[in-house]
Amino acid sequence: MTIMKIFRLLILVFLVLQLQSAWSRTVEIDVHGMTCAFCVDGLERKFRQMKAVSKVQVSLKLKKVRLVTEENQPDLATLKQAVIDAGFTPTKISILSNEKN
Amino acid sequence: MGLRSFVALPLDKEGTVIRLFFEHALEADYDQLTTNVAYGISNNQTLFLSESYRFSGASGQRFGDVSMLYRHIIWQDDYLTGTNRLGLLGGIIIPTADEREMAIQTGFVFTHFSNRYEIDIDGLYQTGINSRPDSGRFDVSWQYRLFPAEYPDWGMSSELYAVIEYNGRWKEGNSLTHQLTTGLQWVQQSWVIEGGAVRTCSRSDINSII
Repeated sequence: MTIMKIFRLLILVFLVLQLQSAWSRTVEIDVHGMTCAFCVDGLERKFRQMKAVSKVQVSLKLKKVRLVTEENQPDLATLKQAVIDAGFTPTKISILSNEKN
Repeated sequence: MGLRSFVALPLDKEGTVIRLFFEHALEADYDQLTTNVAYGISNNQTLFLSESYRFSGASGQRFGDVSMLYRHIIWQDDYLTGTNRLGLLGGIIIPTADEREMAIQTGFVFTHFSNRYEIDIDGLYQTGINSRPDSGRFDVSWQYRLFPAEYPDWGMSSELYAVIEYNGRWKEGNSLTHQLTTGLQWVQQSWVIEGGAVRTCSRSDINSII
């Protein structure tokens, strides 16, 4: 009985861990119109406020924004609109990778 | 962005920028603090509010008039290394003293940014109501990024800009005053510290420190 209980408990823990494991993706957006660090602060803050975005990197040198997000959220249209709302022009969105955590 | 000039660069939708502008006028001998608040209505619409307080000088302590200015970007050309933007300005000046009248403001602002430098050009005309005299201003501002010469691949770094401006100020009944403003801007991601000196072109001494 004790062994069975332990076995059931292990199966339960395994199932819970499976449910919690998630895919993440890395998205890169080419942005035109970015000027100085102060001017792009609003863009970075917009992405950081999105729950499904876990990491934001901006490159004024490469004119890109790189995001680590959940597998399917936010959708690409939402990401594109965030760039537009910040006052810049998104020119290309690429999904660099999809990984299971 | 210039020291005294307007700028057509974006403020994000629902974003806010607060700018405190302190001026120590050497010749006129007064100190004045102007609080400027900008709010992004949308990606191309911005509302500017400005209120000054003079806390020393011959005329004593007093609030200046409140300026409300709306900027609408009507043309935007973003490219890899920068941007060109043209905005129209419109608003009012609300007096804070009974003896002063209102004014209506109209103007424009143009910004060209490329690689390490920026040029801002603006013009604003203020039509006085009733007894308030008309006034106007223009600015041509040039900024150059001294540091860093090259950005890091990823992440933000501090930036240092040199600024030089040609400013014109006019009030009805007076001639146009030509001024030269020079200064520096230390730019971080969420704040900027800047300072400079203003000189009337026809004179060699400095008018004010900002």
